[in-house]
Amino acid sequence: MILRIDLKSNVPVYRQIVDATRILLVNGQLNPGDSLPPVRRLALDLGVHFNTVAEAYRTLEEEGWLEIGRRSGARVVSRAVSNHRDPETGEVFQRRLREMVAEVQAQGLPRNRIARELRRLADTLERS
Amino acid sequence: MPPQTMLFVLLIILMTGLFHIMPGLTRPDLFFAVTVAPEFRQTSGARRILRRYRAMVWVSALVAVALELVAGMAVAAVLLQLLGFLWALVDGHRAARAYAAAPSSILEVDLAMPQEHLPGGPIVASLPALSLGALGLWAGLNWDRLPRSFPVHWGMYGADHWVTTAPAAVFGFLAVHAFVCLLLAGLAWGLLYWSRRISTTGAGAAAERRFRRRLVQLLIVSAYFLACPAWFALFQPASAAIDVWGLALGVVVVAFSVDLMRGGQGGSHRGAAPGSTLVGDRTPDACWRWGLVYVNPADPSILIEKRFGIGYTLNFGNRWTWVVLALLLVPAALGVIFLR
Repeated sequence: MILRIDLKSNVPVYRQIVDATRILLVNGQLNPGDSLPPVRRLALDLGVHFNTVAEAYRTLEEEGWLEIGRRSGARVVSRAVSNHRDPETGEVFQRRLREMVAEVQAQGLPRNRIARELRRLADTLERS
Repeated sequence: MPPQTMLFVLLIILMTGLFHIMPGLTRPDLFFAVTVAPEFRQTSGARRILRRYRAMVWVSALVAVALELVAGMAVAAVLLQLLGFLWALVDGHRAARAYAAAPSSILEVDLAMPQEHLPGGPIVASLPALSLGALGLWAGLNWDRLPRSFPVHWGMYGADHWVTTAPAAVFGFLAVHAFVCLLLAGLAWGLLYWSRRISTTGAGAAAERRFRRRLVQLLIVSAYFLACPAWFALFQPASAAIDVWGLALGVVVVAFSVDLMRGGQGGSHRGAAPGSTLVGDRTPDACWRWGLVYVNPADPSILIEKRFGIGYTLNFGNRWTWVVLALLLVPAALGVIFLR
């Protein structure tokens, strides 16, 4: 269960923590009942301000992934997925995916590598 | 040669031996406190820097020994040796900077890493200080059973400074000891909860946890040892038990030190992570002054692994560090006030 962040990335560190943790959550590597390290511990190990980690945990709490207790720390909770599907969600996803593919293509990542990664992701999704 | 001079020369040689091996104790990707590629140590450039450092360290030791033998200036000799060591270190640090590698910008943390706790919990860690509190209470209730005077300092040949039994002396003496015991327990706690973990995955992380546990154990055992002289002083002031105590303390400290040195800084010699692509110790090179002093206001850690030698140092950019340093002065001030 490795959380990896890149200090050189343009994406803010708190956003990277949210994104990386969300991947672990949706992949089932973090399950309801699991505890996350306390804010202080994670901030010390990453060498970032406590508020950065606290902000990331709050965002995940707002998304319904975590429950943050004063003494118990951050704990993963079972998240009820809304049945209400916003018709825009699919379009936003499609647009963001295309933007991202274009971006990495512009950065020089070969087309076959991008296609391979997308296929791998699709396989994982279908299996889960 | 008088025995004291012989002992002094032996100590100088021992210290120099320690300085000699110090560069080899650090993490493989740090050389004279500079982030380098792990294979750099095998290059001729690295060997040249190391030879020069060791030559400077031994020359300053020889000059220090000569100063003691010829002029009997022990304090000046020790200072000279330390200055020689610092000069050699800073010189090595400057030379190594030419070979600096970019530290990895990727940081990894294993979210499932086990939490570390004080061995035996906070009660075991604070028991030495609590026992001294109890001793103070007993002394207050049984004043007539205390000796007329008691020792407060011991040298090579036993107690060398005695004070008359009076409330200020007894309670001041116990307070100094209790405070230092609490400080050692606090330091152990700080190592577990306020220090950066560098290896956070695999065998490297396990070795680092073991290293930190040893250090914490050493601090807590030292607190227990430190509480003993207060008991001896008030119950058996002229006893030879203090000699046994000194010997036992020496054996324990040497045993722990040897174990820590065998594992290298952060246990890095035991738990090398094969194939690891992350280089560096998660601190920027620019925040290390002369390779010794870490100043990084953006880093929340108070304690941070040293880049040269074994153990931890303070992050002088953190304002809480200055609070810790101020606390260190308290026992010294108490000692001066009550035990003159």
